[in-house]
Formats: sequence, structure tokens, C-alpha cells
Amino acid sequence: MVPTGASARTWLVRENDLDDLELHRRLRGGDRDAFDALYRRYAGSAYGLAFRLLGQQLLAQDVVHDAFLALWRAPEAYDPARGPFRTFFLSLVHHRAVDTIRREERLRKRTEKAANLEPVHDEDVAEGVIDEAHLVVRRREVREALADLPPDQRQVLDMAYFGGMTQAAIAEQLKIPLGTVKTRTLAAMRKLRKALEEDE
Amino acid sequence: MNHDAIDELLAAYVLRSLSGPDAHEADLLLSDHVPTCASCRATLDAFQAVASDLTLDADPIAPPETLLPRLHRELEPRSRRWVGGRAGAVAAGVVVAVAGFAGLGGFVLGQNGGTPADGSAADLAAALEFAKEHDAATSDLGPVTAWEAPGVEEFYITGTEIPQPPTGSVYRLWLLSGSQATYLGDFRPYADGTVILHIQVDPTRADGLLVTVEPEGSTPSQPGAPVWSSAA
Repeated sequence: MVPTGASARTWLVRENDLDDLELHRRLRGGDRDAFDALYRRYAGSAYGLAFRLLGQQLLAQDVVHDAFLALWRAPEAYDPARGPFRTFFLSLVHHRAVDTIRREERLRKRTEKAANLEPVHDEDVAEGVIDEAHLVVRRREVREALADLPPDQRQVLDMAYFGGMTQAAIAEQLKIPLGTVKTRTLAAMRKLRKALEEDE
Repeated sequence: MNHDAIDELLAAYVLRSLSGPDAHEADLLLSDHVPTCASCRATLDAFQAVASDLTLDADPIAPPETLLPRLHRELEPRSRRWVGGRAGAVAAGVVVAVAGFAGLGGFVLGQNGGTPADGSAADLAAALEFAKEHDAATSDLGPVTAWEAPGVEEFYITGTEIPQPPTGSVYRLWLLSGSQATYLGDFRPYADGTVILHIQVDPTRADGLLVTVEPEGSTPSQPGAPVWSSAA
């Protein structure tokens, strides 16, 4: 699949992407079986991501629920030319989880926990799910790239992406200038870009 | 602004960590500069790819078994979706959720007949909850008010003392985008003149809204006589 935009980035063609395109095409026609198939493919990743940000099962469940419902109601929102379905859908989940964090100030403590460098463990969380093989490989590459980041860069990246915090809030919490947060974030993103593009 | 400063904004943008003046500056950048700058487009694409990869750092977890059945109960038949009527002019993702279909009460969009007399209170409560939850800002659209909040892909329209359309007619709501008008649905005010519309469309996708008066049951092929219009 190659996007047609002027700033096209060549995406790897994977069988799963092609299957997603077919499922999405059927979804646009109101096919509930296609909806269920996409749910089976992405509910685990979506729930894991939402739980990582929110640190609370009920809220994570609501975010995933809302994301799938939005997909059903407006499947046209996904434009295959802009990249894989997985990227689109998990971005949607991330956006909704961040919105939830910011809407509910009382979540802040849990958010800080979710933003911690250590993985979150919750004994009550349902069992993990098995990933596709290529995602297992990619996950390892991503974690290696993250592990190679200097701790101060990793910290601001985690607080922003998995903590749902604004850069201003990060600066306030860490008691460092906003400019430093921006510099560290950019440095982290550039290093990840370089490392992950090399791994592709 | 040099490209390092632009890259800082783009990095924070894809992480959704901008706020205040930086968010405003990024909006301007993304609308004015990035579309014409190959270097910035490449950077934005690359950073978005990184953000996508970051999702992999979260381990997948099986959601509760109750979630899919819960979704099944809420999936409306596709025939009840309010998507623009002109297939060639429909903006991507444009959907109107009708209060009532989503459990909000009695507002009727695209259905003939009256509205429940006690429905406006419930719908108004939902609109006020939305405004409170999102700290929504208001803007005047002729005789009605739009309630919207940055980053929230839905909005409300409320109004009072809206006259009923002529007998045999309905109000018809259109989304304006460039030179295109996309049909959203038909409505009538409550008996007390209250109008409460819950619209699940990103308001930033619209240049404006248009309300026309149309014969009840007519095909929404193109906008007829305008009643009011304004920027969304």
C-alpha cells in the first residue's frame, strides 16, 4: 500500500494490512461481521494502550468502546491512503484516552503512575493477548529504541505520550523550563525516528 | 521560525502534548506552512510513524468479555445513520447522531411527526452536560447557538423560541464545506420552540452550517430556501 499524498511515506505491504482494507471496505457497507473481525484484531491492542494511559479498567473499557462505536458510525474517517488501519485506529484510541485524562483531573495520580518508566501491572487485568509475529518483532525494536534514549528524554516522552500530559504540565511537574521539555522531546523523537527507520 | 523550532512543534503535536500558544502556533503551521514545505511534511509523517510505533510499548490486553456484546447492543443499523445525501459531495466521516438514537431523548431528525413534549428537558440536560464536561465555548449561528470545544469531534446546537416551519415543511440542516453542501438531516423544534441538536461531526471540518425550509419527505438533492446560515 503506497499513499498517494505529496508527502507519501511508503508503508510496508503486509498481508494484515490488505485484510484490514477488505474488512474496512465491508465495514463501510454496514457489515457487522467485518466489525467483529476488526474488533478481534484490534481490541487487545486498543485496550492495552488505553489501560496504559488511564490505569483504570473501566475508563479504558469506555475509551475502547467509544472508539469502536465511532468506527462503526463513521468508517469513512479512515483514509487508506494515509497509512495502515492499525495506525489510524490506535491513534484514535490514544486521542480519546488523552481526552479522558484531561477531562478528569482526578485521574492525575493514576496518570503519573501510567507515565512511570516501569510497566504497569494490575493483578485484576485480563490476560494478555498474542500478537501477530511481525508486531512482536516491531515491539522489540521499539522497546530497544526507547531503552537507548537518555533517561531525561525518555521521561518527557513517556509523560507526554503515555501520561497524556501537555508540555507545560510536564515542565511544571518536573520543575524545569518549558523550553527544556521541548528540546528533550524533539531529541527523543529524532532519535526514535532514526532508530526505527533503520529497523524497518 | 527556523526548522528546529518547527520540528519541536511537530514532535509535540503528534504526541498531543501541545497547549496554549504553542497549540495555536502549530495549527497555523499545519494549515499555512506544512502543506507547502516538503521537508516539514516528511518530518511530520516520520514523527507520526514514531507515534504509531509507540503504541507497541503498551502490551495488548484482552478486554472484558462484556465489551463486544455491549457494542453489539449499540450498533445502529447502517440504514439509520445520517450521512450526507449526495454521495459525490459527502465529506469523509460526516455523520449526524440524532438525540434519541443515542439515548438522549426526543429530538427528531429526519422523522416525520411530532416530538415528545417532555423530551426537551432531557436533551437540554445532555447539552449542558456536554458544555460543562468540555468547557465548551458558544458562538451565535443566527437564532441558535453552537456549543463546541477544541479537539472535540462533536458539537451541539441549541435554540429557543424557534418558530415551527410552515405546515407540510421541515427544517433541513446542511454542512457547508467549500462550495459543497452536505445534507445532515431534517428537524422540527419542540412544541415550545426549543431546538437541541447533537451533531457528531468535527466542527473544524465545516466552513459553516445552513438551515433551509424544505417540503416534508422531499429528497435532499440540493439546498432550497435558506432560513439562516453562519460559520460553524
